[in-house]
Amino acid sequence: MELSGERAGDILVLTPEGRIDGSNSADFQSAVMERIDEGSESILLDFAGISYISSAGLRAVLILAKKLNQVNGRFALCSMQQSVQSVFEVSGFVKIIDVHPDRDEALAAMQ
Amino acid sequence: MLTISEEVLLLFLDDEKGTFIRGPDIHVELAMSGAVLMDLALANRIDTDPERLFVVDQSSMGDEVLDRLLARIAASEQERSTEYWLNWIREDVPEIMGHFIDRLVDRGILRRMEEKILWVFETRRYPVIDDREEREVKRRITSVLFSDEIPDPRDIVIIGIVNACDLLEVILHHREVEKVRERAEQIARMDFIGQAVNSTISDVRASILSMISTM
Repeated sequence: MELSGERAGDILVLTPEGRIDGSNSADFQSAVMERIDEGSESILLDFAGISYISSAGLRAVLILAKKLNQVNGRFALCSMQQSVQSVFEVSGFVKIIDVHPDRDEALAAMQ
Repeated sequence: MLTISEEVLLLFLDDEKGTFIRGPDIHVELAMSGAVLMDLALANRIDTDPERLFVVDQSSMGDEVLDRLLARIAASEQERSTEYWLNWIREDVPEIMGHFIDRLVDRGILRRMEEKILWVFETRRYPVIDDREEREVKRRITSVLFSDEIPDPRDIVIIGIVNACDLLEVILHHREVEKVRERAEQIARMDFIGQAVNSTISDVRASILSMISTM
């Protein structure tokens, strides 16, 4: 899984690509956690390139959201493909974590 | 730290009597089946999505029961749903419970007492000697339920089982249960194994009701 990043003001936008499941969720979590430990307290995960997420992937997202919540940071996701969006809906994650339809809307909400 | 299976087992024990809380067998069977699957999932040996449960890593967890279950799931010729494996593991629940009771006795958390009722029938009780672990689980669950904090993955899986098996009434006062019911159900949805435990219990209840109504 690839993970690229860019800044939009004080928000770090990370764009993972591929699948997030038990085979790589720990790596994904560590890569994002590293950015948080480096001082990024506002993170937007742009999921446009994520085609599949399993329970292990959801747990990684949850741990990241919890970590940023503990440091009064901001965390959101955007641009999910329909199959991934439905996993977030079925699991009720959309009620716990901010999910936006696209990057512009997410950035506006996070400002 | 205790395993999810050990924590769930402690929640099913009546601390004073040292016996398991009376309730439908299906609750204990599916709670323990779900708990062992959750132990495998949190150790990243298996993974799930809404349709299936699959093996990620076959390496040993250092626990003979969990390793045996993992090997059996890995040996399956096709990927199955979480509900399938919950029902499949149910048959092994007495052995699984015995295993985790032994571990809790070895750790000095429970004591095993052999007794005879009417001088004939042998019975076993497991009074709690050290209730710190159990109090900690209940404190964690209560803390998550009465706040809007983002729950920890361990708390989600425990709340999923507690909610599905009507154990909230054991942990909380009746009036408190009503206050947190919605939050408990929301958190319980967040794990697919917990969801499967809940849906399987609902299916079993529906089939029992259907059988009764046709008698």
